[in-house]
Amino acid sequence: MSAAAPPALGLAEDKLQTARPASIWRDTLGNLLRQRNAVFGGAILIFFVAVAVFADQIATHGPTTVLIGVEDGAKKLTPPCVHLLGCPESQAEHYFGTDGNVRDVFSRVVHGTRISLRIGFLTVGFAIVIGTLIGSLAGYAGGRLDNLLMRLMDVLLAFPALLLAIAIVSVLGTGLLNSQLAIGIVAIPVYARIMRASVISIRERDFVTASRALGESSMGLLSRRIIPNALTPLIVQGTLGIADAVLSVAALSFLGLGAQPPEAEWGSMIGLARNTMFAAPHLVLFPGIALALTVLAFNLLGDGLRDALDPRLNR
Amino acid sequence: MTRFIIRRLILSIPVLIGIVFVVFALARIIPGDPCIAALGERANERSCAEYAASHGLDKAIIPGIFRVDGQIEIRPAEFPATLVDNQFVLYVQGVAAGDFGRSLKFGLPVTDLLMQRLPATVELTLYALTFAIIAGISLGIISAYRRNSIADVFTMLIANIGVSTPVFVLGLVLAYFFAVTLNGTPFELPPSARLPAGVVVPALATVWGLEGLQGPPRAIIDFLSNIFTFNALVRADWGLLGDVIRHMILPALALGTIPLAIIARMTRSSLLEELGLDYVRTARAKGLRDRTVVLRHAFRNALLPVVTVIGLQLGGLFGGAVLTETIFNLAGVGRAVTEAIGSRDYAVIQGFTLVIAIGFVLINLLVDLSYAFLDPRVRLR
Amino acid sequence: MIRRPGRSPVLAFIATAAIIVAACGPAASTAPSQEPSTAPPSEAPSAEPYETMTYPADGNSACAIPDYQGQIGLIRTLDARTVEFNLCKPDAAFLSKIAFSSLAIQDADYLEATGGGGEALVRNPNGTGPYKLKSWTSGSDIVLEANPDYWGPQPKTPTAIIRWSAEAAQRLVELTSGNVDGIDNPGADDFEAIKANPELQLFPRTALNVFYLGMNNTKTYWKNEKIRQAIAIGIDRQRIVDTFYPPGSSVASHFTPCDIPGGCTGDEWYEFDVTRAKALLAEGMAEEGITSIETKLHLRDVVRGYLPTPVDVATDIQDQLKTNLGITATIDVQDPTTYLATAGRGELDGIFLLGWGADYPDVTNFLDVFFGVGADKGFGDKWDDITDPLAEGGAVADQAARDALYTTANNNIKQHVPMVPIAHGGSGTAYRADVEGAHSSALGNEGLFAMKAGDRDQIVWLQNGEPGGLYCADVTDGESLRVCEQIAEALYSYEIGGTAAEPGLAEKCEANADSTVWTCTLREGVTFHDGATLDANDVLVTYAVQWDAAHPLHVGQEGLFEYWSYLFAGYLNPPAS
Repeated sequence: MSAAAPPALGLAEDKLQTARPASIWRDTLGNLLRQRNAVFGGAILIFFVAVAVFADQIATHGPTTVLIGVEDGAKKLTPPCVHLLGCPESQAEHYFGTDGNVRDVFSRVVHGTRISLRIGFLTVGFAIVIGTLIGSLAGYAGGRLDNLLMRLMDVLLAFPALLLAIAIVSVLGTGLLNSQLAIGIVAIPVYARIMRASVISIRERDFVTASRALGESSMGLLSRRIIPNALTPLIVQGTLGIADAVLSVAALSFLGLGAQPPEAEWGSMIGLARNTMFAAPHLVLFPGIALALTVLAFNLLGDGLRDALDPRLNR
Repeated sequence: MTRFIIRRLILSIPVLIGIVFVVFALARIIPGDPCIAALGERANERSCAEYAASHGLDKAIIPGIFRVDGQIEIRPAEFPATLVDNQFVLYVQGVAAGDFGRSLKFGLPVTDLLMQRLPATVELTLYALTFAIIAGISLGIISAYRRNSIADVFTMLIANIGVSTPVFVLGLVLAYFFAVTLNGTPFELPPSARLPAGVVVPALATVWGLEGLQGPPRAIIDFLSNIFTFNALVRADWGLLGDVIRHMILPALALGTIPLAIIARMTRSSLLEELGLDYVRTARAKGLRDRTVVLRHAFRNALLPVVTVIGLQLGGLFGGAVLTETIFNLAGVGRAVTEAIGSRDYAVIQGFTLVIAIGFVLINLLVDLSYAFLDPRVRLR
Repeated sequence: MIRRPGRSPVLAFIATAAIIVAACGPAASTAPSQEPSTAPPSEAPSAEPYETMTYPADGNSACAIPDYQGQIGLIRTLDARTVEFNLCKPDAAFLSKIAFSSLAIQDADYLEATGGGGEALVRNPNGTGPYKLKSWTSGSDIVLEANPDYWGPQPKTPTAIIRWSAEAAQRLVELTSGNVDGIDNPGADDFEAIKANPELQLFPRTALNVFYLGMNNTKTYWKNEKIRQAIAIGIDRQRIVDTFYPPGSSVASHFTPCDIPGGCTGDEWYEFDVTRAKALLAEGMAEEGITSIETKLHLRDVVRGYLPTPVDVATDIQDQLKTNLGITATIDVQDPTTYLATAGRGELDGIFLLGWGADYPDVTNFLDVFFGVGADKGFGDKWDDITDPLAEGGAVADQAARDALYTTANNNIKQHVPMVPIAHGGSGTAYRADVEGAHSSALGNEGLFAMKAGDRDQIVWLQNGEPGGLYCADVTDGESLRVCEQIAEALYSYEIGGTAAEPGLAEKCEANADSTVWTCTLREGVTFHDGATLDANDVLVTYAVQWDAAHPLHVGQEGLFEYWSYLFAGYLNPPAS
């Protein structure tokens, strides 16, 4: 045997080359991208996010700018006028027409995207945080505390959501913040239940007992074992919950209890326009379509996420 | 089984008590004076003082806390005197005796108003749910069977469009399209109300000669009589039945799109789970036709969660039909509560919301009971 | 606080041309100077003499009671067909007042039988009118059928159905689809479409109301008169009326609509002038030592004849304040039930939007209510140079003298600017084209009995809301009053679609020389829906139960009988306040 170095076999000797380590997130993403529903929903969502981010650039006017006296010949309730599509040059261009206060509807719809997305995330975020707190407390503590908290959640759940929200807003006062709070409160029980179910199912498992025997604290258990297990249903429910929240706040604004004038929120735009619906259907149509598409996107995304994250559905 | 029912009913009691309290508290915390709601611009201090006195609104709400002129006033000195003599106690006593108070606006007993309004909501809910179940389950089966194909996306799109479109927009558009655009055609549908103007529905009590009957049996008969579909079927009045159905189509469509999406979604995911199980593979290996496998075997097993969801929707639809009832001008419970909130009609708010909530709790119980019938593996503990 | 009820000119709209004014007589007048009326040929003497009544029963006129606020002193029946009213002061508007729906005559025995109120009376009204109540399905509809024993012409359509919907777009769909025959208050933006539709007809309603922008002169910025004047001059009111109000509306030249006699005396309101407004504002701000104004714009989102689209108008005002004057105003939509209370108590510290509709067409119903001594605290402190001429004007009879006084008052209002009057808002009704006799009433009293719905045997009317009750002595919403008008009748009636009062259940009511005693002669052969015959005591009891707060039948629905105080100022035995 010569003293020469062994021939390179193409094998790294200090590093075992294996397949890329499995990561639940990458797997999930892969799965997600295979769900056509999710892709469709996600695409719409990305579009709206882009609109929200670049709202100032995309909008042609300010969302609350009244155009009487500013623009020649500006009239209220004019239908959409797009020069490219045949509207005469002499008329001012308003892609979605003007509303009852002679404001550009297109700009208002565009800026409304920001508000609606913010509403969705904030409301559900609030509900998830409080809900997981309550749910984990109930599930972990068990016994009477569990009973008490869950009865409380039952009481909340027994009320029709919209009515409860109307009542809460009547007490707190109108406005976007208060109606988000109201809808958030109404949504808490769902997440509390999910969290509690996860906690209970994990609590008694062997590896938990083992961890505790090894000295792991309750907080550590909670954050490292239990919450990740609850994450899946929370995310799925959360995405669907965003859709629900956007619609509910829009409904409250429609009833005059949510966004206050002159804020350009889709629900309140439709609410203000509902009595001129036949004189000016574009005022209801465009915000309505925007609202429907956004909510649709979240719904489809949520459905797709459920499919992607549910291990039993993976083939 | 009976033990289960009793146990659940007992567990429901604290929930119901909690509901009564929350309903009362919410109704009374809302700022504003029912006197001003009733008298409008004609309200003045003298009248409102008289109004409050005659309706018992000048008593303490809960011990020590009063409401004067629409604003909360705390009088600690009167705490002991009002420990029992307050509106909450009076209300609970009333409810226990079956008296839900009187409407401030109409002066009618709340129970009477409930008997008049609840049937409309029940009827609307049943129609909406029927539509949602038929359409939702069909769409769910199709999309589960053809998972991840274009058909899947398409059916889920249809299912979700309904729930994504605000019901107030959908309702107005439907009303306009079918009532105005299709006016004069055979497809025309009326835009509102439960019946054409001037049509009188004979009360079942009268038709059956039971006018002398009083109390709960009579209340039940009156309630059923006001569900016009039932009324028409029982008397074989096909003209009335046709009228009722024509008036219910649009509201049922508008309202039903919400549970439709949820039912479709649940059917799809539940069926997908079933289709992944071993027995399905075995059945297919045995050579059974796919349709038989899916519909006769997998679907029936997948039904359990779907039934749960349907039950939950039923409870939720009751009070949630507010917007649909407003758009289609139906005299139902949801609209009554919303109007009552606007006019601070405390008795109506409290009574109606209580009934809705109780209904929800009871329906949940029924849904849980149905588990035992649908799935022999489930043992009611 | 006196405010207007919920429909455009709801209350008695007095015949403007026929205001007879007499010198203010002495307060007490227990010796009625009976004007001999041409006695109708008496019937064959009946077996028993008619039991006449007097109210108050002891025969002493209420005018003599110290602190008595009311206008009616004594009512008595002289025979089965004659009623006499003794007033404390001359009242030229008496005929219009007695035509008001709350004074519809009830059968005394029916009032007794139902206890004067409660469900029995409120849900089962009695009356002499062309229609009678067939059924009332709560939340759904009210069905009226023709009264076969009506003393006058039968209603043109045998059945009338009244439904309601709060949404203007919904009402329009119903009308356009032919589901209903007539609607109240179509949306302002739908007027053109309705006029252009050959299947529909539109009837505009005159505007007897005013929409104003109020400021409380005890609050921060509004203490300064120059700032208030700047607001008055810096808002383009024509733009608001042109953009948001239906045809038939007008920019307010004075607080009181000009249709009301003496309403538009004195100088017209300021012309819109941005430069002058800015200068005034700068001066005012300098005086106060401030450099900018940030305030709130309060309103309630409730549709009224004077303000059909509250939020839109508020948004425009907000924009104008910013663009024309550099004032930043945040819109504050308040809950309707709390809004009136806070406004009346003077608690609103920003600019607030409100309005008023006529109860009866006299200047006192506008100016006195808001700027007189008894006005509420909405505008803050009062000015003597406004309250004094107003107090005098209400007590003077001669129209020329009143005009002079109101000129002074109006000019001082313009000077001090407690508020900025913006518009008098028109509204309307719309019907199917084949409804003959369709009309709109400035008082909101459309007479369904005068309309023939094509060849259909029922006429369906869609109004804004459900009546609260049908005993109109004790209601305050216009929705109830309109239905009452079909069922019950008063001594006088308003002409169809108009405001002049003409004989109703009374063949005639005549006044004595100084208009302090009115004698009414009833028609013969009038029966109520329950079969009872109309006689003079029914009239007396109808008035007495409203007038006397201590009357055992003073029950009604709420027991408030609000309209009585607006028509005749005071009650007998008023509850201690």
